[in-house]
Amino acid sequence: MRLNVIAPGGVIYDEDVDYITISSKNNGDFAIMHDHAPVISTIDVGYLKMVKDNNHIFTVIINAVLEQRENIINVIAQEAHVGLNKDSALEHLNEVRKERLEENRRRTMDFLKAERELKKSIKDAKASKR
Amino acid sequence: MQSMRDIKQRINATQKTSQITKAMHMVSASKLKKAEKSIVSFRPLTKRLTASLARVLDSAQDVSHPMLDERPTNHTVYIIISSDRGLAGPYNANVFKRFEAYIEKHHTSHDEFSIAPLGYKALMFARRRNYKTLTDKVIQVRDDVQFIDFQSISDRFIKGFLSGEFDKVIVFHNKFINTLTQNVVHKTLLPIERQAVLDAHKEETKKNQYERIYHFEPNVSDVLHQLLPMVVVNRLYGMILESKASEHAARMTAMKSATDNANELIGDLQLQYNRARQDAITTELTDIIGGANAVN
Repeated sequence: MRLNVIAPGGVIYDEDVDYITISSKNNGDFAIMHDHAPVISTIDVGYLKMVKDNNHIFTVIINAVLEQRENIINVIAQEAHVGLNKDSALEHLNEVRKERLEENRRRTMDFLKAERELKKSIKDAKASKR
Repeated sequence: MQSMRDIKQRINATQKTSQITKAMHMVSASKLKKAEKSIVSFRPLTKRLTASLARVLDSAQDVSHPMLDERPTNHTVYIIISSDRGLAGPYNANVFKRFEAYIEKHHTSHDEFSIAPLGYKALMFARRRNYKTLTDKVIQVRDDVQFIDFQSISDRFIKGFLSGEFDKVIVFHNKFINTLTQNVVHKTLLPIERQAVLDAHKEETKKNQYERIYHFEPNVSDVLHQLLPMVVVNRLYGMILESKASEHAARMTAMKSATDNANELIGDLQLQYNRARQDAITTELTDIIGGANAVN
């Protein structure tokens, strides 16, 4: 069974798996095993547990659609992060998102400050009078 | 005529400007390449997502959703995608001009629409014109734009659309055609046209009628309810990527012509400078010769 996880940045995961478990806030938990009937589902915030030969890893996902047909699982995600442990992966993803928002705010502040300074120095230099 | 020192000063100043514009040209060129790459890598995702949507819609012909239904328009939201910084030639002005022409034609009062500005310049434009905006915060359009950057605004208009506050969402943005050409286009983001989605993936959905039978987890309407906003946000993201590439291309062209102009100006000034220098030499020579003649 093939699992393909794709996010805006590119392909996150494209490998064979034995089965996967899907856990999400909106739909609860369910698993897809070999020869499952064609299924479409969605994930708002949740994770995939990929199992292959008794090894398992997790992919934390925010906003995704999952489609299974002929033993090919396609997951199209807006944000995804692969980790060995679901809690640490989710924590990491949340942290990254929070940091991003914080950085955006900081950039805006810096930008506004720089713009004010520029206006002031243009006025001080009397650039318009030359 | 200006003195030699004044001309020299102007030459130096122009040279410095041309250095900066040349650097900006090169930076934009490399950023454009990156932006083009991200468009290319994003395309398969959009295609697969709309293909999924087409399959869901195909299996659920009778299911309706507010995002799929056209309704009488009382209030429209216009998303304007601009840049954060200037010096991009006519990039921002073109969007604003096209938008104002559209407003003039379709609306009589400012109460009939609101603006969702993406990018600092769009917010400033809306404030200058006293348009109603969905947010007071600056939504930055960074070079490495992510979903989370504009999530606050996409959540806002999707919620507003579902609650009936807005009836239509239209996006104005620059479509990237090639480095020299970017066209301003406007597209309806919401509601989604059911037939257009189905038509775009006709061969996909009509392949085999048994393949079309899907099991929905938990049910069709829940899947649609989650899937449609995702499709909308994804489309918007694609448009942002496209305008980002246009921005870099526009800036590249603008900076290229700025550098060319600066070089031309330097050439003219150099000519003036040489003439002034020759003038000074001639005056000095006449003085010396006059002095020598006087001694003799």
